[in-house]
Amino acid sequence: MNRVRPPVAASTSFSGDEVNLRCVESKLEALTKSADVPRRPSRGRAAMRSLRRTADLLRALTEADLRFRYGRGPGRLLRWILEPFALVGVYLLLVTFVLDRPGPAPGLSLAAAIIPFQLVMATVANAMEAIDIRKPILLNMRFERRLIPLSSTFTESTAFAASFLLIVVMMVAYGVGPTTALVWLPLILFVNLYLAAAGAYAASLLGLWLHELKPFLLSFVRMLFFLGPGLVPLAATGSGAQEILRFNPLSGMFEAYRSVFLHGEAPAAWELLYPFAIATAILLVFVPIYRSEQREFAKVV
Amino acid sequence: MISVRQAGVRFYFDRHLKVMTRNGARLRPHGSTKWGVRNISFESAGGEGIAFIGRSGSGKTTMLRLLAQVYWPDEGEVAVRGRVASLLSIDAGLLSLLSGRENAMLLGVLGGLSRRASRRALESIKERSRLDDAFDQPVSTYSQGMRARLGFAVAEEVEPQILLLDEVHEALDHEYRDFVQERAQQIIEKGGIVVAAGHDHPMLARLCKRALWLQDGVVREDGPFDQVQRRYLDAAHAHA
Repeated sequence: MNRVRPPVAASTSFSGDEVNLRCVESKLEALTKSADVPRRPSRGRAAMRSLRRTADLLRALTEADLRFRYGRGPGRLLRWILEPFALVGVYLLLVTFVLDRPGPAPGLSLAAAIIPFQLVMATVANAMEAIDIRKPILLNMRFERRLIPLSSTFTESTAFAASFLLIVVMMVAYGVGPTTALVWLPLILFVNLYLAAAGAYAASLLGLWLHELKPFLLSFVRMLFFLGPGLVPLAATGSGAQEILRFNPLSGMFEAYRSVFLHGEAPAAWELLYPFAIATAILLVFVPIYRSEQREFAKVV
Repeated sequence: MISVRQAGVRFYFDRHLKVMTRNGARLRPHGSTKWGVRNISFESAGGEGIAFIGRSGSGKTTMLRLLAQVYWPDEGEVAVRGRVASLLSIDAGLLSLLSGRENAMLLGVLGGLSRRASRRALESIKERSRLDDAFDQPVSTYSQGMRARLGFAVAEEVEPQILLLDEVHEALDHEYRDFVQERAQQIIEKGGIVVAAGHDHPMLARLCKRALWLQDGVVREDGPFDQVQRRYLDAAHAHA
């Protein structure tokens, strides 16, 4: 039987904050004096090993999450592709016939808002349940819990990637060709993922603390689509409203996607910098709290 | 390679008895607290099996979770050195909607293996868990014994130096219990530690020569298994 084993023996010491017993470490040294402890690797190799380990963990958590939430087989791909199409269809009817404000290439304009919004929305919804659905593992073993919100982001990124087919279809339908502005797309995608990841850290904690209020929290995020230039571009709103709508971090994202796909131009600096700044602020607040709270996850799930 | 010094684990409740985190408790001052275990101290240099015995609610599972770093101590200190494998919950840490293979892959990586190593280990996990075709079926269709077998087979793959077993091993059939006992013995002979808790004392006696009797979250007695078990049973019968 071929056996594989982790390369380094785990060594952990953790304490409560009311009593600090420094003697424990020295006693432990005495206890393990004769134990076969491997030599410490160099700092660079240790960092590489840690990075590889993080990537492995993240991938394993994401793959399991994808199967857990979306099942297996071609059905899930169909769902990822059809869902944004259905949303664009509904909103297109709303914008064209009910609001009577279609504007240029309304389907493409809507898709440019729906795709980044769906990533944030789906990630937040995923993260709110992310701790709960991993209860069996949380109660059984130690692992890097700080990666859970990131795995929510990566899980929903799969659907996000599939939904780009919608953009392609809309560009073909409206005869809008790709331009050199597409070179900005990687940066826009990065900011979008960064914002979604920030939302995931906040949502995973809020989902744990305010279990009963999850539907309200999701409604709040959904509201951000309508309290931003989701249905119509920012330029089509009143000048007074424009200033207010810019405070919504999703407004910049929607407009950035419209800039590169619809108008064929580089996004304005605020369209990327403002969502990036908001996401950074969210991370600065919630990541330290998350790190502290993760120690108690097993008690509250 | 285990050192526990005056360790305690506290649970926080709001006024509706919902369990909260410590930070949550600070925000809601009208709650209550309860120590799951407190002032627990013991050490083990390795090469032994330790049983936690005591009635339900005495703190056995909390102690095992503390050693597995599923819980952090709210006071005191816990130091654990060595690769730890744990089987602490009745579902053995398995996600019910995933297949046995998918769970094995996930738990292997979470347990310390690389993805490649975890994938390479799948066939030997399948063989050792004796699940046959059920290995590729959803875990929701498994019996508790099958879950425990899969959980143990995965835990074994990381070649643990410290094995933590809660009552979950009691769900195993007799054939597999012999296998678990044999593996636990090998860990002890190599200088590792097996910590087991439960109410199946004959099984615990086969795995452990030392016992800690836990009562209301504190260690009432620590000593040779036979001696501690006899006193515990005498006290239990006297109480009844």
